[in-house]
Amino acid sequence: MTGWLAANLLSVLNGLAIGALLFVLAVGLSLVFGMMDVLNLAHGALFLVGAYVAAALVGGGASWGAFLGALGLAAVIGLLAGGGLSAMTEPLRRRSHLDQALLTLGVALIVAEVLQIVFGDDPLAVPAPPGLDGSVSLLGAAYPTYRLALIGVGAVLAVAVHVLVERTTLGALIRATVADREMVAAVGVDNRRVKIAVFAAGSMLATVAGVLGGPIYGASVGLDSTVLILALVVVVIGGLGSVRGALVGALVIGQIESLGRALLPDLASFVLFGALALVLVLRPQGLFGSRAGAAA
Amino acid sequence: MAEYTLSRRALLMLLGAGAAAPALAACGSSVGGGSGSGGEEGGPVKVGLVVPQSGVYAPLGTDMQRGWDLWLQQHGNRIGGREVTTVVADEGENPQTGVPAVQRVLQADQVDLVVGLVNSATALGAAPLMSEAKKILVVANAGAADITGKARTPYVWRTSFQNAQVAAAAGPHLAEQNIPGGVFLIASDYAAGTEVRAGFKAAYEAAGGRIAGEASPPFGTTQDYQPFLAQIRQSGAGAVFCFFAGAEAVRFVQQYAQFGLKDSVPLYGSGFLTEGGVLDAQAEAALGVRTSLFYTDQLDNPANRAFVEAYRAAYDDAVPTCYSVSTFDAAAVLDRALGAATALDGDSVSAALGGVGSIDDSPRGPWTFDGQNPLQTMYLRTVEGTPGQLVNAVTADLGQKAQV
Repeated sequence: MTGWLAANLLSVLNGLAIGALLFVLAVGLSLVFGMMDVLNLAHGALFLVGAYVAAALVGGGASWGAFLGALGLAAVIGLLAGGGLSAMTEPLRRRSHLDQALLTLGVALIVAEVLQIVFGDDPLAVPAPPGLDGSVSLLGAAYPTYRLALIGVGAVLAVAVHVLVERTTLGALIRATVADREMVAAVGVDNRRVKIAVFAAGSMLATVAGVLGGPIYGASVGLDSTVLILALVVVVIGGLGSVRGALVGALVIGQIESLGRALLPDLASFVLFGALALVLVLRPQGLFGSRAGAAA
Repeated sequence: MAEYTLSRRALLMLLGAGAAAPALAACGSSVGGGSGSGGEEGGPVKVGLVVPQSGVYAPLGTDMQRGWDLWLQQHGNRIGGREVTTVVADEGENPQTGVPAVQRVLQADQVDLVVGLVNSATALGAAPLMSEAKKILVVANAGAADITGKARTPYVWRTSFQNAQVAAAAGPHLAEQNIPGGVFLIASDYAAGTEVRAGFKAAYEAAGGRIAGEASPPFGTTQDYQPFLAQIRQSGAGAVFCFFAGAEAVRFVQQYAQFGLKDSVPLYGSGFLTEGGVLDAQAEAALGVRTSLFYTDQLDNPANRAFVEAYRAAYDDAVPTCYSVSTFDAAAVLDRALGAATALDGDSVSAALGGVGSIDDSPRGPWTFDGQNPLQTMYLRTVEGTPGQLVNAVTADLGQKAQV
C-alpha cells in the first residue's frame, strides 16, 4: 500500500514537471490566440526549432554554457520568428481564422521540412546540463533531477508572465487591446505594435520551451505536431487568452498525462481526449474562459 | 465577447482540418494507366523502389536505398542478367501516401517489380494492387504477420522479418534464466507492438516463464514514460522486454535510465530499439541493453565483413543496419529468381522465388524462404562501446527461427 502511494505521489510530482513545461509551451499560444485573435499553428514548429537548437548546441557535450547559450539563441530566434509571423498574418487580420490557420500551417510545414533537411532524419537527444543530469532518490525511487528543476523554472516563468500581464502598464495595454481593440486605437495606441510584441513574446516562450523540453522529449521529426496538439488541448481546457487558464490547463493536462496514465494504464490513449471531451461538454468556454461564458 | 466561443469552435474544426490535410495531399497521385507489358526475356527490368524519403521513417528509407544501390553497384547494375532501371518513390509515413506511391510506380512508371515498404499497413494496402497487376512486391521491412500469413498472396514476398518472429526468439532465452519476478512486457499500442507482445508472451510462457505485467503506451503521442516506468517498478519484475522504434525508442531508453531502472531491472527488446541512428541519440543510456534481431553489423562472417567494408566505403563511413541488409537481400533473391524465371510476370517470378533455396552469401548468414518470409538465425545483441561508437555486439546465437 505504501509502495502504491509512493509511486502515485511520484506520478503527481512528475505531472507537475510536465505541466510546467506545457505551461511555458501553451501560454504563448493562448496569449496570441486569445488576446490577438490569431490562430498560430506554427507554434509547434517553433517548439521544434528550440529543440533542434538545443540538440545542435548541447548535443555534443552537456555544459551550462552550451545550455544557456541554446536558451538565449532560441529566445532570439523566437522573438524574430514571432515578429515575422505577426507581419505575415497582419494582412489576414480581417479574414477568417481558417485563412490564418492555413498560412501558419504552411509556415509550420516549411519550417519542419527545413529542420529535417538541416538536422537529418534521425531523432536527436539533448543531455541535461551538468548537475541536473543525475537522479535523486525520492520516496524510494530514482527521479531525474532535471525534472525537479523544470518545476521551479515553470513556476518562475508563470509568476513572471502573470505579473507582466496583470501588474504592468504593458500588461494593461495588452488586456485593453483584448477587451476592445478599436477603443485602444482610438486613444492613440498603434495596436499593431501591441500585436507584434505579444506575438514575439509568445513565440519566444515556444522556442524556449523547446530547449527546456529537450532533455525530456529530445528533437525529432513529427514532435512539432504532437506538442501543438497538446498545447491546443491545454488552451481549450484552460480557456483562451488567460494566463491563469493556461497555467491551470497545463497543470491539469500534466496530471492527466502522468497520474491519469498511472492509475488507468489500459485507458492511456483515452484519458487525455476523454478529459477534453468532458470539459467541452460541461464547460465549453474552458475552465477559466469565464468572460466568454458571461457573454454567451 | 461571444467571439471567444466561436473561436474555440473554429479552433477544434481547424484541428480536424489540420489532421486531414496530409491525407488529402496524398490523394492527388493516383494516375490511371493500363497494365504493364513487362520486359522481354533477357531484356531490361524496371524496379520501383518505394521507401520513405520523408516523415519519421525517412532514416530507414535512406538505409534501404543504400542497401539496394550497393548490391546493384557490386553486380554491374544487373539483376538476373537484366539491366536494371530503378524508379524511386517516396512511401511517406502511412498508407495514405504509401499506397498511391506503389500505384504510381505500377501505373505511371510501368515497373516490373516493386521493392521496399516500411509500413505494414502500406504493404497490406499494396497487396491487392500487386495481385491486380500480377507483379511481384518484395517487402524489405514491414513486419506484420498478415503480409505473409492471413493476407498472403503469391505476389508478395518478404526478405526482412515478421514482428512476432523477432520477439519470440528472445522468449526461450529469457525463460532459461529463471528471472525472479518474471518479465514485464511493454510495447507501443499499435499493430506491430501488439504482435510483438503476443509473440514474446507465447514463446516465453511456453518455455516456462511468467509475465509480471503488461503495458501499451499510446503510439505516437507518448513523450513521457514515467507512468509506465512506475508500473514496471511496482510489478517487481526482474527484467523488461519492450518494443519501440525511432524517437520513441530514444525517449524510452533514456527515461528508463533516468528513472534508475536500468541498473536494477535489465532491459531487453526487439532489435529495432537500438538499431541504426537511434543508438547514437540514446548514448550511454543504451549501454547494456539487450535485443534480439536477425542482423547486426558486428556479425563475424566473411559475407558480412565484406558487406560492412563496402558499405562504409560507399556511404561516407555509415554503418549498415538491418534495413540495409533486407533490401540488399531483396536484390540478391530477385537476382536468383529472375535468372531462373522465364518471364517477368508475377506468376513466373513467384514460382522462381519459391525455388531460390538457401541464400548462403547474405550478410545476416544463410537463410531460406519459409513460406514467403525468411527462415533465419536470430541473434541476441548487447549494446557495448563508448558513446559515439556504440555497437550491438553479438552475445548469443538464438538459433534458426521461422515465422510464427
